[in-house]
Amino acid sequence: MASISLVVVKRVKPLPSWVAPLLSFTLGIAVATVLLWIVTLGRTDPIVVLASIGRALAMPQLLLKNFALLTIVGIGLLVSFKASVFNIGGEGQFYFAIIAATWIALFSGVGAIAIINKVLMLVVGVLLAGFWALIAALPRGFLGIDEVPVTLLMNYIAYYIVDYLVFNPWREPKYKYPRTPTIPEESWFIRIPGTTGTIELILLTVVVMAGIWYLMNNTRLGLAINVMGSNPNVLRVVGINPSLIVVSSLVISGMIVGIAGVSYLAGEAHLITIPAEACTPMLGYTGILVAWLSMLRIAYVPVAAYIVSALINAGINIQIAGAGKASVVDVFIGTILLIYSISVIFTEYSVKIIVKR
Amino acid sequence: MLVEHIVVKEVTKRFPGTLALDKVSFTVYRGEIHALLGENGAGKSTLVKILYGIYTPDEGEVYINGKKLVITSPRDAVAHGIVLVSQTPTLINDLTIVENIILSLRHYNLFTRTRRVYSEVYSVLESLGLGIDPNTEVYKLTYTQKQMIEIARALLLKAKVLLLDEATSYLPLTEKKKLFDFLKKYVKKGNSVILITHKLPEALEISDRITVLRKGKVVGTVEKKKADITVIRRMMFGDTEFAPEAIKQRESIGNGVTLFIENLWVKGELGEYMVRNVTLSVRKGEILGIAGITGSGQIELFEAIMGLRKVERGIIKIDGVDTTNKDTGFIRSLGVGYIPDNPLEHGLSIDHTLAENIALCPKYSSFIIDWHAIRQDADRLVREYGIVTPSINTPIKLLSGGNLMKMLISRELEYATKLLVAYNPTRGLDEYTANKVRRNIKEKKAKEGLSVIFASEDLDEIFELSDTIAVMNSGRIVGVFDKYRATRDRVEELMVM
Ligand SMILES: Nc1ncnc2c1ncn2[C@@H]1O[C@H](COP(=O)(O)OP(=O)(O)OP(=O)(O)O)[C@@H](O)[C@H]1O
Ligand SMILES: [Mg+2]
Repeated sequence: MASISLVVVKRVKPLPSWVAPLLSFTLGIAVATVLLWIVTLGRTDPIVVLASIGRALAMPQLLLKNFALLTIVGIGLLVSFKASVFNIGGEGQFYFAIIAATWIALFSGVGAIAIINKVLMLVVGVLLAGFWALIAALPRGFLGIDEVPVTLLMNYIAYYIVDYLVFNPWREPKYKYPRTPTIPEESWFIRIPGTTGTIELILLTVVVMAGIWYLMNNTRLGLAINVMGSNPNVLRVVGINPSLIVVSSLVISGMIVGIAGVSYLAGEAHLITIPAEACTPMLGYTGILVAWLSMLRIAYVPVAAYIVSALINAGINIQIAGAGKASVVDVFIGTILLIYSISVIFTEYSVKIIVKR
Repeated sequence: MLVEHIVVKEVTKRFPGTLALDKVSFTVYRGEIHALLGENGAGKSTLVKILYGIYTPDEGEVYINGKKLVITSPRDAVAHGIVLVSQTPTLINDLTIVENIILSLRHYNLFTRTRRVYSEVYSVLESLGLGIDPNTEVYKLTYTQKQMIEIARALLLKAKVLLLDEATSYLPLTEKKKLFDFLKKYVKKGNSVILITHKLPEALEISDRITVLRKGKVVGTVEKKKADITVIRRMMFGDTEFAPEAIKQRESIGNGVTLFIENLWVKGELGEYMVRNVTLSVRKGEILGIAGITGSGQIELFEAIMGLRKVERGIIKIDGVDTTNKDTGFIRSLGVGYIPDNPLEHGLSIDHTLAENIALCPKYSSFIIDWHAIRQDADRLVREYGIVTPSINTPIKLLSGGNLMKMLISRELEYATKLLVAYNPTRGLDEYTANKVRRNIKEKKAKEGLSVIFASEDLDEIFELSDTIAVMNSGRIVGVFDKYRATRDRVEELMVM
């Protein structure tokens, strides 16, 4: 009886780490452009597509909002990825923060006092997002249950909780549209004129980057999270409980994503529209791409976020140019992520085959 | 007649911040065992890694059988009959021995029957005197056993030039004798061996010629017949003074019991008892050495003491505190230092820097890391132990094997205030540093009352370092001797009984 097994072997000499991001951007955009051209039988003109991407890259003021949100989400996910904990639950954590912030703004009674309201939205939003991450973190940390399916499934649970809340108790009373009332204007983040961003969002982005940089570089927790990702045995031997590190990394990750959730509500959406699974800006998923493309280095997260947010805007340009729908950008993002994942594996590993008989 | 097999000409290799090899030239003749000696960080591993295609030289040439070759990958090297058994085992833990070997052997292909390989592997292991089932998963093996498997793999690869990088240092005596006999027969067939070791007597015993490297340069090549150990030492270390052996050991032993173990039972990786009813105690300021062949239960015993392996039955107390099945963090916080069996897998995070590896330890740092203080600690350890590194912010995987070990030992020895638990505490260290480490351990015990429990596969070390010697065999303590009453013969007899 024969059985074949594929064995992945670590390369003695890994390829340089910039190979994967560079390859995936250039090749990804090329492949996706060609792919679109073929699939649409020549209707999406590659020139128009590339020009749209170029134009989007050259207009930072228009991508400020997505850039900042993606930077925050990317940094948040990075914290868990560093520990080899794969938080795919950004969407759920994002929405749990929104649930909390919406409640504060609409029903807590402090909605009209701008500063208290904003601070409370952030604090409670972050806590609830962290709580949602904790539910996946505990079984992963202490029972070793794979976090990927758990966090992924929890995204859908979060969507449905949002759908339930908005469809029933929180529904706006006037026209009975499937959405909440708009949150009071006092709780809105302040738009920077001529851009898509808000002052608070930019501040929060800076604070998150600086804070996580400090955590990862100047605390034992951050160091332990780093070591967790390369050799958890060492933690045990040194006397640090790896389970606690896993839980902390996932919870911190969720909390940071929660900051993006609150900022999205207060700076952009101002209300929740359902069904959440269709109306989501998908930053929890796109953020995964940003985190990976940054090679898990904090300083490169904004770079990756910039390029990805330009791609999102390019989608809109393409739609305006009549060369396709805005969602063609999903093809780009998917292709880049796919090529990235494949090339990253081959920079570190080569694959061999064993046949047993 | 001497035929040149390998000629290395003026090879230079630089790494950022280090000149690892500086115009190195040397020749290996067909049919010789050539020992390559030198202190930690001298450039020995770099040289053999160049021959094996892991590194390519910046300058200089390599000739094999008179032909100039550019070896750019291990695959290339193997095709030319050159195989390296590296200082750190490279086997894949989740696979069995047979599977690992199939992976690396080119003359086996997709259609090779595992059963055929099994019997080939079995017979090579047998010829090396290794009684291990080839279907054992690699993670169940000890560090030393893994190295033996790598030697077997190299032989199965039909190597014509065998590069052994400290792979023989810890083989148990009988296996080592078998291997050396094998190597002598092996070179008679026109093959060659380059042997790296820190055990000078071993090099003198088996090699035909000896080349000494120092700080990346060749000091010289001497014929075994003309060599003697003091000359070689001088070539290796220059005029560096060896530490005088002046500490009065016995007097420092106090009355209090630091480590108390009673009727201890611990299971091994396979679920069978590896520690059987062990009762031991180590007094304050006492060094207890555990002699025993590899796999007699020493590792499991130490892991149980450290809270890393479950105690099935029995009691462990450290300084009167019951630590049976307690958390490792708690046990270490009592002042317990630990040098594990496989330092690279369990002791250090090799992707991180020397400073980070120090900061990871609770004693050196609180929640917020004071990098200034850590740097001072790191600099002190580097100076004290002569760790060769471009800087304390270099990822430690770039350090030489011995320097990595120095890093771990210095951190743990300084960390330990009450008890040091150490497995092969001087593995991979050159003579000078090994000496120094042993002296530091003794000094710390004499001055600060540190207690030590250690195991070593090297009997010389057991006799050299211990106050009390316990012999472990198949999980049981079969004899406990005062150092001055123990004889080598009696201890060896009990080890293999
Ligand atoms: N990949 C690398 N990058 C940077 N420096 C390196 C690298 N490999 C080795 N070195 C440096 O080159 C020098 C020689 O290292 P090498 O491993 O050859 O020493 P060695 O003689 O084998 O010592 P040991 O007895 O400790 O194993 C050391 O200073 C080491 O730090
Ligand atoms: Mg070496």
